[in-house]
Amino acid sequence: MKRYVTLAVLLTIFVYSIAEARIKVAGRGAKMNFSSEGIPEMYKPSFNLMLVKCVKCHTMERTVIAIQTGRAPITGQPFNKQAVKAYGIKMLRKPNSDMNKKEIRDVVVLLNYFLDENAK
Amino acid sequence: MNFARHSININLLLLLIVSVILAASDVYAIPAFTRANNVECSTCHTIFPELNEYGEAFLKNGYVYFGKGKKKSAEKAKPVPATVEAKSAALPVDSNIVKGDGNADLLSKLKAGMMVSADAPALTAATTVPVADAESSHVAVVGEAKSEGIALSGVPDQLPISFTANLHGTYNKDAINEFDFSTRSLKLNAGGNFKEKAGFFGTYLVYTENVAATNNTSQTPTNLTVKNDIGELFLIWRHLFESPINIKVGRLQPKLGLWKSNNKLSTTNSYATYSYTVGESLFKLEQPQDAVEANMIIANRLFLAGGVVNRKNQNTKEWYTHASVKFGGADYLVNEPEIDLNKEESVFDYLTLTVGGYGYVGTNGDPNTVAGVTPRQNDFYRTGVDIDLLYKLFRLKLSGVIGNDDNPALSYSLPPVKTYVAAVEGEYTILQNLIGSLRFEYQDDGSNIVRRFIPTLAYAPIENVKVAAEYKHEYGTSYKTTGATEIANQIGTLGVTFSF
Repeated sequence: MKRYVTLAVLLTIFVYSIAEARIKVAGRGAKMNFSSEGIPEMYKPSFNLMLVKCVKCHTMERTVIAIQTGRAPITGQPFNKQAVKAYGIKMLRKPNSDMNKKEIRDVVVLLNYFLDENAK
Repeated sequence: MNFARHSININLLLLLIVSVILAASDVYAIPAFTRANNVECSTCHTIFPELNEYGEAFLKNGYVYFGKGKKKSAEKAKPVPATVEAKSAALPVDSNIVKGDGNADLLSKLKAGMMVSADAPALTAATTVPVADAESSHVAVVGEAKSEGIALSGVPDQLPISFTANLHGTYNKDAINEFDFSTRSLKLNAGGNFKEKAGFFGTYLVYTENVAATNNTSQTPTNLTVKNDIGELFLIWRHLFESPINIKVGRLQPKLGLWKSNNKLSTTNSYATYSYTVGESLFKLEQPQDAVEANMIIANRLFLAGGVVNRKNQNTKEWYTHASVKFGGADYLVNEPEIDLNKEESVFDYLTLTVGGYGYVGTNGDPNTVAGVTPRQNDFYRTGVDIDLLYKLFRLKLSGVIGNDDNPALSYSLPPVKTYVAAVEGEYTILQNLIGSLRFEYQDDGSNIVRRFIPTLAYAPIENVKVAAEYKHEYGTSYKTTGATEIANQIGTLGVTFSF
């Protein structure tokens, strides 16, 4: 009986933690990432681009947290569409970010989509 | 048998614990600013200690991280807890009478004020966080409320101290000891801010093998002038009376050129424009001085500084001023430039140009505070221009200074000396952690004309560890000495620097 109760509690906590995230997320900690399920086909190339380029310098956990909370996890600054564009420009100018303007634009559009989805 | 198995399990457990501790300790092997702001070294540095534009902004902002505190301001905007409201509601609205049992409402507000950023701007509609987001407290966000004691005292959360160690080997075929592997040094750094109202910074050379020679451009480390002495130690009063003016007091490098002495890729070779000396005068631009400096940022892209230096045992004061302006790139408040991402790429999307000019007027020589003794004095000035240009992976630094010393030999038998020194350095980011540079310097210091070529390759396998290979080819003539002695030096240096 005790085992069932423990199992039920753990299951409840697990379900709650998933249900709380409005944008679908996979993995935990440094391996946390946006779940590719549910991302429209038109955004898939941008998502794949982000998975390759952005993780060169930081984990996707940082981006996921920023989208989920609306706050950049390091600075605590608002992470809204205006901030997303500013981060995009910062990454565009960052030496060795290895991203051109079109790639930056695509990732900015994708992050805006994530922000919209998270706000629903 | 069971005992043996049990013992193996315990050993495995201990091994696991030790492994976890060791792995965790690696994570925290980082210096003071990184620890305090929870950011990686590359936020402010290209390869440390060279600063990128965000590091420059952090420096100009008195060691306060831009944007910090906005999260806290959101907390500030929250209504006062119901229990406090209920209690304060019982008090008369216009009551200014001090009562023995205090004012819980006022105390609550004061404490809340202590725990938010002094720079925190008022929340606007655009920056308001959705209530649901503000409630997601499970995410570890920098800027959570401090403990009350720490918040009220203004003491930084963590001890703001770090160390920088240099281990260098040099090769000089003309030296008696061709290979010298004994150029070790250990420097203590401290820096941070107190409740964002005051910033502070200090360096202390704990140990060095070198006997510092003030006219040596190759000493390690280069930003310290005297062995086992305080390099810098100053306090900044930020935003004096809510104005944009910051006041800096203590021993500091006067704000003259665009780059502080250690803000470069090379570890051992200072810029000649900042480090050259004339005759007996020990003055050089990068020398820390006992000074009071006022500085301010105007219109986000103009930086002005001016100060007065008090030389020990000299009654005469020395004065300096600096102005620099930045075009393109993030401004001095770290606002990104407006770039239309829907337009085609343009050169100006990537171009950042900073131009700075400065002047310094001073007097040095014998102390002029001894009664009855006529001191031998040297009146001098320096004026110069620096340019920093960044385009994608390429960075160009130009630095030029002219100077005049009316009595650098302190003898009155020699004429005044005019000096002309220039440096140009091209830098290329090969990889994010691998940068190469080539510098050319021309130095006419009144007694010698010297030219130098200094290639440097710096590699950072980990962000707080830097390996630098440098070579200095120096040649010229001592044209003021009899017989015009030739100068020729080739010095190779391989060194590792690490901060922790």
